[in-house]
Amino acid sequence: MRTFLLSIALFISAVCAAQVPSVTVENAKGEAFDTKTLLEEGTPMIISFWSTSCKPCIRELDAVYDALPDWLEEADFRVVAVSTDDSRLLAKAKSFAQGRGWGEDFQLLFDKNQDFMRAMNVSVVPHVFVVDGKGKVVYSHTSYVPGNEIELFEAIKKCSK
Amino acid sequence: MKRFILVISLVSASLALAAQENGYVTGSFETNNHLYVDDQVNDFVSDEDRIGSNNYLKVDYYNGNFSAGMQLESYLPAQIGFPEELSKYALSNLYVNWKDDAFQVTAGTFYDQFGSGLLFRSWEDRLLGLNNALMGARFAYNWEDKVAFKAIWGMPRLGMEFTDTQVRGADLSISLSNIIGLDDILLSVEGSLLNKYAKIGIDAEEAGGKPNSLGFSGRLNFDWNGFFAKGEYVDLGKKLVALETKHGNAQLLELGYNGRGLGVTMTGRRLEWMGQNILANSTSSANLMSYVPAMSTQYTYMLTTLHPYNPQVGDASTMAFNSGEIGGQIDAFYNFRRGTAIGGKRGMKVHANFSTYYTLAQEGTAQAGNLLFRDFSFDVERQWTKEFKMVLLYSLQEYNPGYGQYKTTWLSNIFVADLLYKWTSQLSTRLELQYLKTYEDKKDWMAALLEVNFAPHWSVWGSDMYNHGMTKKHYYNFGVSYAKGRTRVALGYGRYKDGFICSGGVCRSIPQYTGANFTVTTSF
Repeated sequence: MRTFLLSIALFISAVCAAQVPSVTVENAKGEAFDTKTLLEEGTPMIISFWSTSCKPCIRELDAVYDALPDWLEEADFRVVAVSTDDSRLLAKAKSFAQGRGWGEDFQLLFDKNQDFMRAMNVSVVPHVFVVDGKGKVVYSHTSYVPGNEIELFEAIKKCSK
Repeated sequence: MKRFILVISLVSASLALAAQENGYVTGSFETNNHLYVDDQVNDFVSDEDRIGSNNYLKVDYYNGNFSAGMQLESYLPAQIGFPEELSKYALSNLYVNWKDDAFQVTAGTFYDQFGSGLLFRSWEDRLLGLNNALMGARFAYNWEDKVAFKAIWGMPRLGMEFTDTQVRGADLSISLSNIIGLDDILLSVEGSLLNKYAKIGIDAEEAGGKPNSLGFSGRLNFDWNGFFAKGEYVDLGKKLVALETKHGNAQLLELGYNGRGLGVTMTGRRLEWMGQNILANSTSSANLMSYVPAMSTQYTYMLTTLHPYNPQVGDASTMAFNSGEIGGQIDAFYNFRRGTAIGGKRGMKVHANFSTYYTLAQEGTAQAGNLLFRDFSFDVERQWTKEFKMVLLYSLQEYNPGYGQYKTTWLSNIFVADLLYKWTSQLSTRLELQYLKTYEDKKDWMAALLEVNFAPHWSVWGSDMYNHGMTKKHYYNFGVSYAKGRTRVALGYGRYKDGFICSGGVCRSIPQYTGANFTVTTSF
């Protein structure tokens, strides 16, 4: 039993070091985009996985969009919105994001065969990650109810200190 | 049990030790469980098992350019309405992968798609019980974002096993704009080839069918200052459908503009004999090797999803003979900015969609036949105050109950109000009120949903969908969920009507049932 507990402890210590893997997705223009380049700026970021048919996802990104001017006064970070819509809704997702104004403030990525979603082990959307300036995932949350964005902001504030 | 603990210890320890040198382990776990309850009103009698349990454990290891992973699945047994070949358990995915800026090599299971997926797509959708991952190898090369090449080989999965069907393919993408050095323009030409070897029956062989088939696609992508155009031609070659030789082909065109708070997308598509299966003799809803989605709005409100559109890829096996479909849609999104006369203090978002699809009147042509599906929807979203947000939706849906066999269509008018109120920074309620007006099918419906959210963890909901036009049946659903960090636990109970579960426009039919459900999703 001691061996078992030790192995689990070792496993958990390895799990705690999760990062952003290199996966090819699309940017808003339709060009190939390697997700590892997200880390090049070295600033903290929120990565939010969403889809056009997921209402809580849209409410969460709208809440972040509305609060962003105030948040940026207190912390230095970026928001990356990753659409998991497949080719049925890919073009619509791009128009949708523009129609909500997200394109001006968020970095938009499109993961049409859910490769990035799988690599980040996202089972259901919405799912947000906070990644620090060194590329390490320091906070993660699945699902959204109004008010969850407060916890998200606390997490981004901690790593932009 | 000792042996199980030993295996878990060994796997955990080896993954952890492997992770010490800059590597890390990540994974997810999902369990969806139903307990079925007999319900005379719903004409539902549960079988002996009374339960359905779908479970997934996924673990990945990353170290620099290297990654490896596995997925364990169990169906003990599968939930009602899932493909029947999903049963017991299997180590379904197992892969190693190496990727740098230029090269990627994968061995084992992998997912991929060519273009829009009309020619080939392998993907996982747990809602549909679909996982057609390829077991084989993939090689990809990217030359400075100018030329990208990909070659694949593998055997697609159906149910719990990998089939003996073989798929070989190659995909080439040339970015002319990057080669010429045009910064503001995206212009690329792409093409794919796909060879499939699948066993066929003696009847098919005698009718001239061949186990080998060769398909190809050509694509053009253009984007300039927000204006975009995409074109795709797909050719599946000659194929045998109900012992007759047919020519599978499709054309897809997308045009639009995105910018300055406006997003407009127009899509046109023609399909002819585009069904592409893994096995010739399987009727499973997961027997798919390509992705032919419904190019129409994906509704989410209860009464708007009663009759989702299922695209006609060509069907000679039923009375509703059709060789395919032709149609299109237009979507427009606009954001009235804050501080404008219409936008008011907090802005207003509007969206309109129109789509229409017809059978092919004659094979080999683009002539429209009977109407299959048509819808128009308009929704407006406004944040009236800091606390109150409102969404109003109107949807007009017309569909052909005979899947194009006759001219008869049924028409519904659907009205939805979605009202969100934040009482405090942590307490909010959301109320949905819906009404469906129709003179056909089961006549009128009404529905309501109330959701009470206690941020950051709890959510409680209850809903009822009532057919007051004919059957007088209630379809209720209530539950509670708790979410903390990466984990969400939900418990619910409800009566569900028969219909279709659709994801991305691919649908599986489900029978009516009543019962409790318990779901846990987590990741690490």
